[in-house]
Amino acid sequence: MALPAFLDIDWKGLALPFAYVIVLAGALMTFSSVYRKRKAAESANLAPWFGPHLQRNIYLSLLHMQPEEGGEKTPRIPDSVLRAALLRRAVEDIRRLIQIKNAKQACSSLLQRGSVGDDLWQRFQRAEKEMEAELRDVVQEANALAPNWGQSIFQSAHEMAGNAHIRTQIDDLLATTESEKKWWEKRRGQIQSDFMKEIDSSEQSPSKAASEEDAVLVDTPSKSKKKGAKK
Amino acid sequence: MSSEYSYDEQGQFFPFFILTLSGLVTLPLTYTLLCPSKDEDALAPRIKTDYKTEHAATVDALRTTQKRKQWRVKRAIVVVVGWALMAGMVYLIMVTQRTVPKLWNPYDILGVSESFTEKQIKSHYKRLSVKFHPDKARPDPAKNETLETLNDYYVELTKAYQALTDEDVRNNYIQYGHPDGKQSFSMGIALPMFIISDGNGKYVVLVYTMLLGVLLPYLVGSWWYGTKRRSKEGILMESANNLFRQYEEGIEEGAIITALSTGKEFDEVFKGDKADAGLSKIESRITAESDTVPIASGMSVKDKEQLEDLDNGVRRKALALLWAYLGRVELDDAALTKAKYEVAPIARALNQSFAAISLAYGNIDPIARSYSTSQHLIQAIPPKASPLLQLPHFTNSVVTAVEGDSKTHMSVQQFMDRPDATRRELAVGEDLLTDKQYDSAISVAKQIPYLRVAKAFFKVTGERFIIPSSLVTLVIKGRFIPPGTENIPAVNELDLEDIDPDEDDLEGNSGKKKVLKGPDGKPILVDEQVISPPLAFAPHYAREVSPKWYAFLSDSKQGKMAVPPFAFTKFDQPIVDDKGNPTFNMQTLKAQFAAPPQAGHYTFVLHVVCDAYVGFDTKMEVTLVVEEASKAAAMQAEDDISEPEEDTLAGQMQALKTGQAPKPRRNDDDSDEESGTEEEEEDTSATNTDTEDES
Repeated sequence: MALPAFLDIDWKGLALPFAYVIVLAGALMTFSSVYRKRKAAESANLAPWFGPHLQRNIYLSLLHMQPEEGGEKTPRIPDSVLRAALLRRAVEDIRRLIQIKNAKQACSSLLQRGSVGDDLWQRFQRAEKEMEAELRDVVQEANALAPNWGQSIFQSAHEMAGNAHIRTQIDDLLATTESEKKWWEKRRGQIQSDFMKEIDSSEQSPSKAASEEDAVLVDTPSKSKKKGAKK
Repeated sequence: MSSEYSYDEQGQFFPFFILTLSGLVTLPLTYTLLCPSKDEDALAPRIKTDYKTEHAATVDALRTTQKRKQWRVKRAIVVVVGWALMAGMVYLIMVTQRTVPKLWNPYDILGVSESFTEKQIKSHYKRLSVKFHPDKARPDPAKNETLETLNDYYVELTKAYQALTDEDVRNNYIQYGHPDGKQSFSMGIALPMFIISDGNGKYVVLVYTMLLGVLLPYLVGSWWYGTKRRSKEGILMESANNLFRQYEEGIEEGAIITALSTGKEFDEVFKGDKADAGLSKIESRITAESDTVPIASGMSVKDKEQLEDLDNGVRRKALALLWAYLGRVELDDAALTKAKYEVAPIARALNQSFAAISLAYGNIDPIARSYSTSQHLIQAIPPKASPLLQLPHFTNSVVTAVEGDSKTHMSVQQFMDRPDATRRELAVGEDLLTDKQYDSAISVAKQIPYLRVAKAFFKVTGERFIIPSSLVTLVIKGRFIPPGTENIPAVNELDLEDIDPDEDDLEGNSGKKKVLKGPDGKPILVDEQVISPPLAFAPHYAREVSPKWYAFLSDSKQGKMAVPPFAFTKFDQPIVDDKGNPTFNMQTLKAQFAAPPQAGHYTFVLHVVCDAYVGFDTKMEVTLVVEEASKAAAMQAEDDISEPEEDTLAGQMQALKTGQAPKPRRNDDDSDEESGTEEEEEDTSATNTDTEDES
């Protein structure tokens, strides 16, 4: 024998176990990579928490309408308009921020209990992150438009949002005025006519007690009927 | 000496193995299949009525299909297969004869009895050796003998003889059971021989791969994704996510209905072209104007706008059908009518998830409205419509006649509290009810279980005072009195007390029996009963519902939930007697929660809500008085010395002492918890944070 004993290995016989290990490891690795890729694709395709941010889009398009090259004759957007647009954007941000703050605790406790799904939580977290970036962006923009405005813009925005909320409530209430008025008019007429009728009837037949007794009399037979029906 | 593994060549062991395995699976499954049915809904009493809706057949058909779904067909098949397998194995065991390995016994070989002496054995052996010595004996072809077998037999004889006479050989025999010393032994494996026989190897490997490589991952995967697919409330995760997005703080019942239509469950009901079939017809019917209500289905203008804003498709159809169901709108089409009744149970399942979501938010309005939506779904009444529609034969025109031109709706109780003559006069008439219809409506109304709360208070079991963070029991005492019941007996004061069982009383403490105060004031033990309330009267709902009562505490000032709901489905006292008349028994409902960590007076609003009937909810104020731990201990010590009577001077002093805080508010020093008193309150949101139990 040319080879030492320890090298004299039955390679053919070992091929099977090695193949087994390779196939197993390969299968697990493909599974994990496919699974991860899918997950990543899924989370990338998750619908955003909030719809399109109209106010931000308006502000950004206003900002980009600033004449860049002197050649074109676009009117310069006045700063007040830009500021108003930014304030509108901040109001919308406040609305979203409140929504997110309210939902956070509920969402996490529901996720723990298994009442809502994982992807909802992922969407939520992404929305939270986007919100943070958005707030920072608004503060920067505000500071660029007016010095130190960034510190107070959200305060005013919050007040504006509160005001708008109260106003919609008042509008809702006022919207019912017409129907309420109509109903009360009708009601008043009804009460009046009832009252007149009552006066008339009391003048004609003063035996009110008798009619009450009558009612009691009618009551008893029907009661016994019902009991009979139950049995 | 070698050892070897032997397979089960004759197939005598593996049937045992398989029998045991299949028995382990089949027997418990059989038990779960045959065990006394836990389906108490079938045993629960029903509300007696001869009323049938126009589409009673459709509703009944849907109910039966649902019941059939719950028949556990899969489990039954597994059980049958399991028993067949077990029977087969038993048959195999009976048929195969057992080869019992023979023990080497020298006495048997020599054909001597064990009582023989050595001498007798010797002489016997000599006689045999003369007869069987290979040199002497001739092989007899008739007996199938050869020289060799004769030889072997002689050797055996000699061995047996030596085992009994020779010292060494005898030792071998005693130690190893054989004169030659240690023998090879074999391990039996209860696998049939064909598994390892040549040529079958590849099939075995194939089966193994299928089992471990395909079936196992498949089963685990389907289980995992199955659990991930459905939320805890049993609806699809996607629906739950959609519902979460639909949640709003000030959501109204109509908006909840709109939110429920986002459920993915409806996709399965309206597959393919079913999504748009008949949609325009339903919509024209539900939005039609009628003379009694502005919109036939009872939806508000806002709800109508929301419906019209939706894209065509499953969601819009589901929502339209839901409104058709709630408004009891006639659709004149068998398929549409069936779909109309199908959507309601789905919507109710989704609504339960919505209730869980609103509970997580903790705002009381959406929670209350979600319960109210459940009531409306079961009774097929649109939100903001009159609760009187629950009664049979009542339609919108009857309701308008009864309620007159009132802005607020009349509840069933209010209607039933009127004298019979007045009711009859209002409801019976041309275009309204006939006398017979009226009687059937009244008979149903008089059977509706209405839980009237008599008293609600807090206590800590075995203690006189509630100290911070202790485990408080909310005790609700109430009687089932159907609306319109006459001659209601007065509440027995003794029934209102809740007595703790003695500490050494095992039966009372384990909850098997409960303590009642007898007429003489002494506690008596009574067997605990379990009584189901009658199934809900819901002729339009395509399931049978056992009504549930929920009790929860809210903080009215913050509009937040303070103690989450406890559900009650069973009661401890009979609700009706044999004849169906109310028994007026006092029912006790108990719920435990942790007291707030700070002492003080907490005023809560107690809500008792029945999920199946509209307008039978109870709201009342209850005050939880939490004492400082040190003060309670001091009072306890004082009480141990002597218990001052309430109307003695000492009692007055005690009352003053215990109620030291800003104003002396205690006039009854025994019940430190009183319902219905108005006190200042503190932050109650801390109520459910601490779950420590110090009592």
